[in-house]
Order: sequence, then C-alpha cells, then structure tokens
Amino acid sequence: MKTTRCYLANDTSSRAAGAGRLADAWSDRPEIQLIRTSSRGAFFLEPMVERDVPNGREAWFNVLPNDLPRIVGGVGGTPIAEIPFLQQQARFTFANFGITEPLALDEYQTRGGLKGLAAAQSLSPEAIVEALRISRLRGRGGAAFPVWKKWQAAQQTGSELKYVVANADEGDAGTYCDRMIMEGDPFRLIEGMMICARAIGATRGYLYCRYEYPAAARTMRFAIQKAREADLLDCDDYPFDLEVVTGAGSYVCGEETALLESLEGRRGVVLAKPPYPAESGLYGKPTIVSNVLTFATIPNILANGGAWHASLGTEGSRGTMALQIGGRVKQPGLVEVPFGLTLHDVLDRFGGGMAPGSRFKAVQVGGPLGSLFPESQLDIPICYDAFAEVGAILGHGGIVVYDDETDMVELARHFMAFTADESCGKCTPCRIGSVRGREILERIQAGEGTAESLDLLKDLGETMKATSLCALGGRAPYPVLTAIEHFPEEFKKGLTH
Amino acid sequence: MTTRHRPGLAETLETCRPVPPAKPNILKTLLALQSALSHVPTSAIPQIAQVLGVTDAQVAGVLSYYSDLRTQSPGRHLIRVCMGESCTANHGGRVLRAIQDHVRVAAGGTTPDARFTVEQMSCAGNCAVSPTVMIDEDLCGRVTPSEVPSLLERYR
Ligand SMILES: Cc1cc2nc3c(=O)[nH]c(=O)nc-3n(C[C@H](O)[C@H](O)[C@H](O)COP(=O)(O)O)c2cc1C
Ligand code: SF4
Ligand code: FES
Repeated sequence: MKTTRCYLANDTSSRAAGAGRLADAWSDRPEIQLIRTSSRGAFFLEPMVERDVPNGREAWFNVLPNDLPRIVGGVGGTPIAEIPFLQQQARFTFANFGITEPLALDEYQTRGGLKGLAAAQSLSPEAIVEALRISRLRGRGGAAFPVWKKWQAAQQTGSELKYVVANADEGDAGTYCDRMIMEGDPFRLIEGMMICARAIGATRGYLYCRYEYPAAARTMRFAIQKAREADLLDCDDYPFDLEVVTGAGSYVCGEETALLESLEGRRGVVLAKPPYPAESGLYGKPTIVSNVLTFATIPNILANGGAWHASLGTEGSRGTMALQIGGRVKQPGLVEVPFGLTLHDVLDRFGGGMAPGSRFKAVQVGGPLGSLFPESQLDIPICYDAFAEVGAILGHGGIVVYDDETDMVELARHFMAFTADESCGKCTPCRIGSVRGREILERIQAGEGTAESLDLLKDLGETMKATSLCALGGRAPYPVLTAIEHFPEEFKKGLTH
Repeated sequence: MTTRHRPGLAETLETCRPVPPAKPNILKTLLALQSALSHVPTSAIPQIAQVLGVTDAQVAGVLSYYSDLRTQSPGRHLIRVCMGESCTANHGGRVLRAIQDHVRVAAGGTTPDARFTVEQMSCAGNCAVSPTVMIDEDLCGRVTPSEVPSLLERYR
C-alpha cells in the first residue's frame, strides 16, 4: 500500500486543539506516515494536517479523525500559499515553523541554520557587536533596550567567568512566542545564545524556563543534548555549556535581576540597578540576560548582515515583531511582520475580526502592564516610538481583544489583584498601593464607591508610576487608568455620590 | 499503571547536596523534592537546610515565595484553570465556575475524596486556543462549560 506523508504540529497549543487525539486515532493506520512538526502559528486552523504537493504543501483545517480518507485522497485541501493569514506575514525568525521537525538538527542546517554562528566565528567579538549595532535590534522581552549596548558592556567588563542567560519566563498573559520557539525551533535559540557567548566571552549559559512550560523545557533539554553530541556547543575549542533551569510560578522573576536571584536559588526579589547584570550579574559576574525571541532573532542577523535587519521596520523599531493575537478574535495566532502596521490592520487582516457573536470593546497590547485601546485609537502604528508617545508599551507583543461582555471594573480589579499577588514586596508603592487599588475597585464593585474613589485611584496610580523600583509597580496602573479613561461610565455606575 | 521506584526525601536531598565549588541552590532543591514527593512538607525544612548548609529561615523564605511550590499534597489530579487575559476574554471564568460546581469545591481546595484539587493559574501560553484548563500535564484548549463533566470523567 502507498503511504502518504502527512505533517501534524506537535506543539502544546496544537495538542490542546486536538492534534494529540488525531495522532492517537491514526497511530495504526498504514496509509499514512505522520511527521510531527512545529506549528505554523495559525492556531485557529489547528489541528491542521498538511501533505506535500508538487509546489509546496496543502493543508486541511480543524481536522477530525474521520477526515483521514479525504486527506489521503487529496480532496479539499488548501495550498499553504493561499492562506492569507500566513501569506501576509514576513517570516524570518519563524521561517521554519510548521515545516520542520523541531529536533532534526540536519533539517535545521539544511534550511540555513548555523550560518549565523559560522559567520560569528569568522568575526572578532567586537565585529559581532558592531553587526548588532548596525542591525539596530532592540530587546524583545519588554524594555526594548538596544542589544548591542548590553553586549558591549559585558564584552568590555573583564572577568574569567561570564554568563549568557535566556529569559524564558514569558510571564505576560497573552504571549506565547517564546514557548513556540523553544518547542518548535530550539536550535535557533541555542545558536543565538552561542553567538552571544562568543561576543562577550561567556563559557556558560542558562535557560530560565517558567514552570508552566514543561514541554518547552523538555524539548530544550533534548536539543541541548543533541547539540552537545554533535560537538556544536564547544565550537573552535571554545568551551560552552548550557543548562535548562525552571522557575516556580512568579511573574516578577521575569525581571532580570529577580531572575538572576531566582537562578541562584533565592527568593526572586528585584534589585536596584546599577550595577547592571551586564557588568555584575549571576554570582557577581558579567551576564547577558536576554529574551528568547531576542536570541532567536540574532542568527539571521549574523547570517544576512546587520544592514539587512535594519532595512526592515520603522525608524526607531527595526526588524520584525512577533505579535501574538489572542482573546475574542476569529483568528488567534502568531503573526511575524515588520514593525509599522497599524493595530487596526493587524486585527483586521490577521485577527479576522471578532469571534462569532461578539462585538469589540477594547484591546490590550503588551501584557498585564500594557494599556487598553478603544476602537477610536486603533490607528496607532505598531512600533516602540508611537506606543511610547501615548504612554503605552508593545512589551513582548501580546495583543488581547475583549468583547462587549467584558466588565471593565472587574478587569481593572483583576489587574490590581494580579500586581498585589505578584509584587516582590521590595517597595511600598507597589506592595501596598496595589492592595489599596484592589480594595478601592472592590468597593466600587460593591456599590460603595464615592466620587473620591476614582480620584484616589488616579493619585495612587500616579504615585506607583513615579516611585516604583521596577515596571511591575511602575506600569501596573496603566491598564487600570486607561480602562477608567475610556470607559468612565462603567466606573461611575458603582459610585454612590 | 507501572510502579516506578519513587525516591524519598532523604534520597532526593542527597542528589542536591552541593559539591564545592558549586553553591547550594535552594529553589532547585525544592523543585526536585516537589517532583519526587508531589509537595514539600514544611516539616522537612530543617533537614533541607542542613544538607544545603543554609539556615531554616532561608529555606522557609524560598518555599513561601514561589506560588508553584506547594507544602501540601494535592489531590490525585490537579486542575488548573487559566485566569490570564486571553482566557478571561474568552470567558474562562464561566469554565472555572462550571468546574467548581461540578466537583463541588472552590478554587484552592481539594475534593473530600482527594480526587481533584482545583486552582487558578495565570497564562499557560495557550492563549490562541483559549480558554485553557490544565489537568495534570494535559493542556485542554477551547474548553466550554458544557464539556466540563465529560472532560473530568477521564480523570478518576
Ligand atoms: C515585572 C517584569 C516582568 C518581566 N518579565 C519578563 C519576561 O517574562 N520575559 C522577558 O524576556 N523579559 C521580562 N522582563 C524584562 C526583563 O527585565 C529584561 O529587560 C529582559 O529579559 C531583557 O531581555 P531583552 O533585552 O531581550 O528584552 C520583565 C520585566 C519586569 C519589570
Ligand atoms: S515595583 Fe513591585 S515588583 Fe518591582 S521591585 Fe517594587 S515591589 Fe518589587
Ligand atoms: S491567557 Fe490563558 S493561556 Fe494565555
């Protein structure tokens, strides 16, 4: 019997959508050979099954076990090239997604993997940093700091021991691109970290992975083992080793100094800067802490040159951004596009409008510390400058859409409660302010608020913004204050006079 | 089910004993203990501190700081309902209520027969297939309140 090769994603979200059930149902079917790949990130179509056709692949969407005869018969498939959600993207960092098997190192290499590392090996450490300066890459973890400046500081700080740490805490609700990279293209992350190690002279790396991502941690451990066996880690007699460490459910441990405290096994409490980790980080040694997506962006920059990267995007925001669309939209999923599209374009072209039966109310960009935007403000371009101008952030690229059934007072309370739960407790405005903020909102919910409640909330917010040590306390007021600004009537309803 | 040898407290602790120049790592030790014992009993704090060469207070401080470290054994199945923004936007709150009603225990509690512990969690990174419920290591997406009974039926 002829066997048809079929491709099915094996990442956490595809499995949660039913890919595992398909694989189980078809495990003893001789007519197909199932290759488990990464996901393309068009999660609204998962579980999606693909097969080879003469010029590419065809796909079947939202597949159920009894769709197998149609797939094997080649009936009703859609060419990948005709899926608008995918075709309108510019996939560079996510070029392999949906195509390769995550742990196939040879496939990674055939598709251009390790070229960036090879290029880095032919350059001096200074020249690597120069390539990053030209690329104008900014960190993708949230703070958007120029990557080359951090690397240069670590490079120029003399020390026997230096460290590279990948921040895989991915705490912002609504974000999942780091998880996708670790589960779907792990060698790209390893390659990015190794380029960094070469540039700064580090011999040891850690990947700090959140507890909620067991599959990502497992895939990374396998990938590191494979890279080690292939003698990839010790390149050019230059020893480098990498270890995966898991966190234990603390949002603030995504903040770099708290992360390093946690990596040393202590309570993940934020430390005042300076000293910056690039000068004095893990165990007091120069340490680069960068986000997973940042590291994964770097191999292409070294392979194609900094100027290539700088040619994409807008003036202050070069390259592409991995936007992660979630919430009440028709087409949630991962979108890699150059910076510069408007929020409206992204929601319209990729999000595909609202989920059936629901109406748009607001969208939040940048995770739990990000601002809310009403319909009238969707023409803002997705880039760091435009967002900074209105006091908003892109953060890690999370975009969550809320429908008209959303209770804004409850949402605001949720954010304050989140901050109160996650505050590391180091500074008073955050530790106490968030609890007070939550209490005020609870009083409004109970119908016991007064006209002063909202003023009090605003004052509290301004104090937290101005005096908190880190962005958890400093940015927590933004979603709350933007909710009040755009939906004042909902808050006023709960006031007695 | 196959029975595997489950290392006990002392045995697991021994694997975490720091070998100089490596420094003791409290969090890593507690995670290793939790993975072996399902939780970290507070009664073990002095023993942990002694093996690591740190104070009891340091161990207790770390144990209480991290929300995923638990000091009590959970039920046979741990149900975690995501309360992150994408799941909330997709009305995950209704799923949580359906689960609480079905197993008759509030979030944070364990059923009297110790079959289920119900908890809330923040984002599971499954936002594009939300609302999300995590049962043990299985992640379920696009969960609706009406499918809760059949979903839980699989976990005895
Ligand atoms: C409360 C808080 C949480 C954070 N969480 C994360 C996170 O989950 N992942 C991340 O990469 N950066 C996070 N950051 C930003 C880090 O402190 C740091 O800026 C970042 O890891 C640097 O990497 P980058 O330059 O690649 O962005 C967080 C910051 C704060 C204040
Ligand atoms: S703002 Fe909050 S989380 Fe940040 S250091 Fe202060 S108390 Fe800790
Ligand atoms: S918000 Fe629930 S999985 Fe991300």
